[in-house]
Amino acid sequence: MQPIYLFDLASQQARWLTVKQAVIAQNVANANTPGYVAKDIGEFEDVFDGAQLQLAATNPAHLGTDPLDPASAAEREENPWEIVYSGNSVGTEKQMLKAGKINREYSLNTSIVKAFDQMLSASVKG
Amino acid sequence: MIDPLEASLTIAGSGLEAQSGRLRVVAENMANANSTGTTPGSNPYRRKTITFENELDRATGVDLVKIRDIGVDRTDFRTEYEPGNPAADEKGIVKLPNVNVLLEMSDMREANRSYEANLQVVKQTRELFSMTIDLLKSSS
Repeated sequence: MQPIYLFDLASQQARWLTVKQAVIAQNVANANTPGYVAKDIGEFEDVFDGAQLQLAATNPAHLGTDPLDPASAAEREENPWEIVYSGNSVGTEKQMLKAGKINREYSLNTSIVKAFDQMLSASVKG
Repeated sequence: MIDPLEASLTIAGSGLEAQSGRLRVVAENMANANSTGTTPGSNPYRRKTITFENELDRATGVDLVKIRDIGVDRTDFRTEYEPGNPAADEKGIVKLPNVNVLLEMSDMREANRSYEANLQVVKQTRELFSMTIDLLKSSS
């Protein structure tokens, strides 16, 4: 049987979700900044699969290659709902929907961790 | 780089600050919608404008919103014939501010909406925090 590193996987996903939340916070805060283009980070599967091979940052001055760094979330949001005259493409409603989705997924994530933890402690305690 | 959830709160906080600055400018414009000059023929209050920018905060490594500039609206003043006014010129014309109350109201609405959106982000982030803390609570 293949081992499942559930805690590791769950913490990775939780981290991805929090980074996504930070990106959304940035989009909402810039909802009225002229020329600001809404950002997003990639899907979890892509980020997780791509995170296997990483360059080591041995110096704090090294640029982050971490795909889970909000500062490197340069990816622009695909098909924004509206682009206003000033060049701003943040649709607040869309960001709210995304934030709601994050909330649900995070809730699922913590519930699974909790259930797994209970299973684990049940088998340890006997 | 700080924790992404902390970063969300900081960013949303900067958004709140920017929007309240915008509301302040709107309030200033509305309050001065009829402020004329004091000497004959002088210029009245000029409408103020506000713009935002996205700026990297080096201490935390996150992009925050900042007020870039509070400028002035260069459009023409309204004029009215009112010889009794102290600010009237020799022809009896008074210059009134270029403030359009309707425009200010819609600007105020938009600032309000954006402020609410930022507040919502703060709320959501706090929920994420408490979900994480709840993991420790019941797993005894």
